[in-house]
Amino acid sequence: MRSVTGRRFDWPDLLFGLFLIAVAAGTFAATWRLAGGTAADMGPGYMPRAIALALLGFGLFFTGRGLVRSYAGIERVQLRPILGVGASVGVFALLIESAGLAAAAFAAIVIAAVASRESRFFEVILFGLFVTAAAVLLFVKALALPVAIWPW
Amino acid sequence: MELFDNLLLGLSTALQLNNLVYCLIGVVIGTAIGVLPGIGPIPTVALLLPFTFGLEPASALIMLAGIFYGAQYGGSTTAILVNVPGETSSVVTCLDGHEMAKQGRAGPALAIAAISSFFAGTVATVVIAVLSLPLAALALKFTAVEYFSLLVLGLFAAVILAHGSVAKSLAMVFLGLLIGTVGIDVNSGIARMTFGVPALADGLDFVPVAMGMFGLAEIIANLERPEVRQVVSQKLRDLIPSRADLKAAFPAMLRGTFIGSALGVLPGGGAALPPFTAYALEKKLAKDPSRFGKGAIEGVAGPEAANNAGAQTSFIPLLTLGIPANALMALMIGALMMQGIQPGPQVMTEQPELVWGVIASMWTGNLMLLIINLPLVGLWVSMLKIPYRLLFPAIVLFCCIGTYGISNSAFNVWLMLGCAVVGYFFIKVGVEPAPLLLGLVLGPQLEENFRRAMQLSDGDPSVFLTRPISAVLLGVVAVMLLAMLSPAVLKTRKQALAE
Repeated sequence: MRSVTGRRFDWPDLLFGLFLIAVAAGTFAATWRLAGGTAADMGPGYMPRAIALALLGFGLFFTGRGLVRSYAGIERVQLRPILGVGASVGVFALLIESAGLAAAAFAAIVIAAVASRESRFFEVILFGLFVTAAAVLLFVKALALPVAIWPW
Repeated sequence: MELFDNLLLGLSTALQLNNLVYCLIGVVIGTAIGVLPGIGPIPTVALLLPFTFGLEPASALIMLAGIFYGAQYGGSTTAILVNVPGETSSVVTCLDGHEMAKQGRAGPALAIAAISSFFAGTVATVVIAVLSLPLAALALKFTAVEYFSLLVLGLFAAVILAHGSVAKSLAMVFLGLLIGTVGIDVNSGIARMTFGVPALADGLDFVPVAMGMFGLAEIIANLERPEVRQVVSQKLRDLIPSRADLKAAFPAMLRGTFIGSALGVLPGGGAALPPFTAYALEKKLAKDPSRFGKGAIEGVAGPEAANNAGAQTSFIPLLTLGIPANALMALMIGALMMQGIQPGPQVMTEQPELVWGVIASMWTGNLMLLIINLPLVGLWVSMLKIPYRLLFPAIVLFCCIGTYGISNSAFNVWLMLGCAVVGYFFIKVGVEPAPLLLGLVLGPQLEENFRRAMQLSDGDPSVFLTRPISAVLLGVVAVMLLAMLSPAVLKTRKQALAE
């Protein structure tokens, strides 16, 4: 902990509050055209807007509390894990339908491994081949998941 | 005796060869993920859900239940040998269990943990069987009004008894309720908040949400911390505890079972809260409390019995009332719905072989676990030698395949990715994602019952207070909320959860 002077705000509270306000605002924007109806005969927009109102209340509360409270920080965000895992999942989603399970699985393993600093190149390649083979056997052969194994 | 008839019916289901096999698969997977830190029962159950679709409903539930209570056994192995809780419910087992291992008594510690779990599991099965009938009979009298109040009670209790800030957990419940409304409105047929995405018309699937927030976000956060895993290496020969050990552990086992069974039934119960309470009680009752934290065998027996009993009795609200006590039970509801079974009190009368089969399978499952965990403990220890750098890419891949497998849509994989990012944000700002999952699963039920109740009463909200059962349920909610606001309760809750 560095010295507290000059540093303000409870950041976890503040950010969570702002997040809730954004979600509530988004909900109002997405449902303003839906009929609200009355309590006895609710329209499709009634519940979403009622819940969004509650979220707005929570959001304002946490934002306010975050502004008033003394400093509390957030653990530093490291980019490598989130980008590695994110890219791995994204590439899988892109490849699974066009290139088949084998290619998508291998790519996902190798890219995910980038997320960790401890990964070693040859180990990952070998392990990737092994897990890909296991996944194909388990999901396609044993559990009968209807997905192509190869792109052709 | 109706109770025995029911148990016999259940045993006849549970002892069918295929159900025994699914039970075994469930408890083996459960032990494995329990032993491995970094992957818990929630993403595992979510991952396997799509593949239970082709099974009989009873087989599917037996297997998924086995994963949950199996994980409680496995978690203690890691806690004792590595001082890292394999599951949150085995956090307290680290305190004395690992200390025993360091003193060269890993064998007795493991054995007492397994025996306590087995004992508690067996007793909890009886508790479930005894409590289920009257509760289900009561619940059959419920209308939409009572149901709504019950769901509200369940959600609030889950929030209050869980870890972390109550206000934040409540906000998360509402967030879950909100994303539960996404999709086509049942009454009017109008699409709500689907943003023109056809895949959202049926609503957000909770499997990608659960896997993103619990599986992937957890991995991302784990990767930011350097790995520490030192297995206490010693020959695990003396697995059989001495007479003195057993004598010291038995009363703790009994008390732990009782606490676990009681806390597990409550909405919001489960495997996480009971061990803390049991540990605190043992420490208070001990003649020499200073032994705790230095390898007291009661400190292993009590909490281990409590977490297993709690894990099992948390099935009671699910099986009798159709409301989940915790996020994992919410997934079980999902499993039921995928099988075309509407969860609720009617399940007990309409599908007795399913409900009693699941209950009876807990006996067979616990017996299997005792065998899997004691003589074969060396196998699980060797699994701990797989480094995390290899484990996590495989988990990421399995999450992808599992999510894709729900409805063969790449959209769900993208959705999981989005939820992973949001889940990572939640971890960073210190908010528990479990209440969100509860809200998401209960949201549609809550809305439907609320709407129906309001139609019945012509839009008069006082109906929730004029009906006696509903008024009592909401009264309990009010008392709990008021109690939360009182500083004295707030302080003891903080202490209880911090210990």
